Amino acid sequence: MLFDFIQLIRNENMKIYTRVRTWIMLGILVGLVLAIGIIALTMGESPNNWTMMQTESMILFMLVTIFTVVISAESVAGEFTAGTIKLLLIRPWSRSKILLSKYISLLLFALLQAAVLFVFTFAVNAILFGYDGSQAVTQQVLGVNRDIPPLALMLLEYICQIVNLIIVVTMSFMISTVFRSGGLAIGLSLFLLLGGSMITGLLSMLNKAWVDYILFLHMDLTPYISSPTMDIREGVSVSLGFSLGVLAVYYIVFIAVTWYVFKKRDVAA
Amino acid sequence: MDRPIPNGSVVQLKNVTKRIGKRTIIDNLSLDLPEAEVFGFLGPNGSGKTTTIRMMVGLMALTDGDVIIRGHSIRTEYEKAIRHVGAIVENPEMYKYMSGYQNLLHFSRMIPGITRQRIDEVVDLVGLKGRINDKVRTYSLGMRQRLGVAQAIMHKPSLLILDEPTNGLDPAGIRELRDYLRKLAKNEGITVFVSSHLLSEMELMCDRVAIIQAGKLIDVQSVRQAGTANDASAVSTVVFEVDQEEGALQLLQGRFGVKRSEGGLTIEADRDTVAAVNAELVQQGIKVYSIRVLSKTLEDQFLEITGGESVV
Ligand SMILES: Nc1ncnc2c1ncn2[C@@H]1O[C@H](COP(=O)(O)OP(=O)(O)O)[C@@H](O)[C@H]1O
Ligand SMILES: [Mg+2]
Repeated sequence: MLFDFIQLIRNENMKIYTRVRTWIMLGILVGLVLAIGIIALTMGESPNNWTMMQTESMILFMLVTIFTVVISAESVAGEFTAGTIKLLLIRPWSRSKILLSKYISLLLFALLQAAVLFVFTFAVNAILFGYDGSQAVTQQVLGVNRDIPPLALMLLEYICQIVNLIIVVTMSFMISTVFRSGGLAIGLSLFLLLGGSMITGLLSMLNKAWVDYILFLHMDLTPYISSPTMDIREGVSVSLGFSLGVLAVYYIVFIAVTWYVFKKRDVAA
Repeated sequence: MDRPIPNGSVVQLKNVTKRIGKRTIIDNLSLDLPEAEVFGFLGPNGSGKTTTIRMMVGLMALTDGDVIIRGHSIRTEYEKAIRHVGAIVENPEMYKYMSGYQNLLHFSRMIPGITRQRIDEVVDLVGLKGRINDKVRTYSLGMRQRLGVAQAIMHKPSLLILDEPTNGLDPAGIRELRDYLRKLAKNEGITVFVSSHLLSEMELMCDRVAIIQAGKLIDVQSVRQAGTANDASAVSTVVFEVDQEEGALQLLQGRFGVKRSEGGLTIEADRDTVAAVNAELVQQGIKVYSIRVLSKTLEDQFLEITGGESVV
């Protein structure tokens, strides 16, 4: 049974990785890491390898988010647009399990990108700019007040980014399922993500309690690495537990809506 | 695991009803599909063929009624019921960015027990061997249709559903498909359920045809295959082509429902009567040039039933 279910995940993986665009995305990530490093080197700079890794990771994670949105927004909607959803569903599998296999393959894709980014930013910068793994770097170079080695700090930052990525996948997966059109799902997901964090910036200037529960205020957990609380509006700071609680509620709602809609929907594509 | 087939029906549609909003799209449709037959589903565009098929394969929920496949309800035992079904709903849409083989591999993974050998077998069967490793993007419609058939029969289903499979096929392709479907029904015992809005195709392809109009099942007719209808006592409409139509009409006045028609006189008679009438005409010096049986086509029957609404 489990073995059979793994076959479904293999199928979804096959659909992601036989497409050229997936490899172009991964190629762009790796290429940019190399390019940024080489440009810095040719300009005669000699930055610290951790500073480089941290900056590149921060910038390139935005790209990872966009790629993840594109792939997950297409995941269900693309099957509706192409009409393949019909052949996919008329198999001895419940709709829930078919959907789950898609969701898992998307999480795996998001994790793969994070892993690629981690490995390449780590290795390329260590090779180009030398490796200094001492604990002092964390405070003196990266300016984070924690008694951990820089590698551990990087891992913590990546964990925060991965949490963010999981929310992104889940949200665009929901939009994909609800709207059934690939293009619309991609557009709407990106709009919500980019627009959402901008609008939230404005809203957080309002001194209203409901602002504290807006998703976008809690998607970036990195402030908690150096401080036990995070300021979200004038004079109000919240704890990691609060942020995780808000994220969990949104997560559960996204998942519930996605599965409910997918199970109930008449397929008339 | 599968329950015995009651009264030889592989599939039973029981009072199948679909309402969307206030509109009733399928109205209380009941139908039994017997084993190893090519069963046609004929109706004009928009009559509800695709909707019925979507409900049969669980893509749409039934508003009322049930579909029983090999003893399993599509509503309550979906996975067991659908196990026995292979289908193409509307167009044979495949993953264009994958090869034909990858598409088959994909669907084969979803049903336990399909070996690579079986995949090769169906590839051979539908005649795609030379192109199976090319991307589906490069396939012609006919090739996609064949790939569609391949994925539908790969798991040896008891019921094969094809929704308007002849759309976009040339006459040779249609003939090929027809022969192939008949072979599947006869040799493998598969029930083939095939929809179309074209009478001519249904007559050639099917053993039996259900006629649907505006969401209602109007009739189920068995299609007479050529050569099987010459039952000695069967009364058919016969046209006599004669030299003196007036004289012949007077001679036969009031008998056999004689009337004048295009190309001669028609009577309703069995075989022996036809011979006797011929002898009588000749005796009276009326020349008979030809005698022709007007076979009632499915089209005539269809027009009769639907009151002349066209179905092209
Ligand atoms: N999702 C839907 N919502 C509303 N009406 C629909 C829907 N799908 C089909 N119909 C209507 O149902 C009728 C039957 O359509 P369909 O089953 O596609 O017919 P056919 O396949 O025989 O051409 C049509 O009148 C069509 O407009
Ligand atoms: Mg149709």
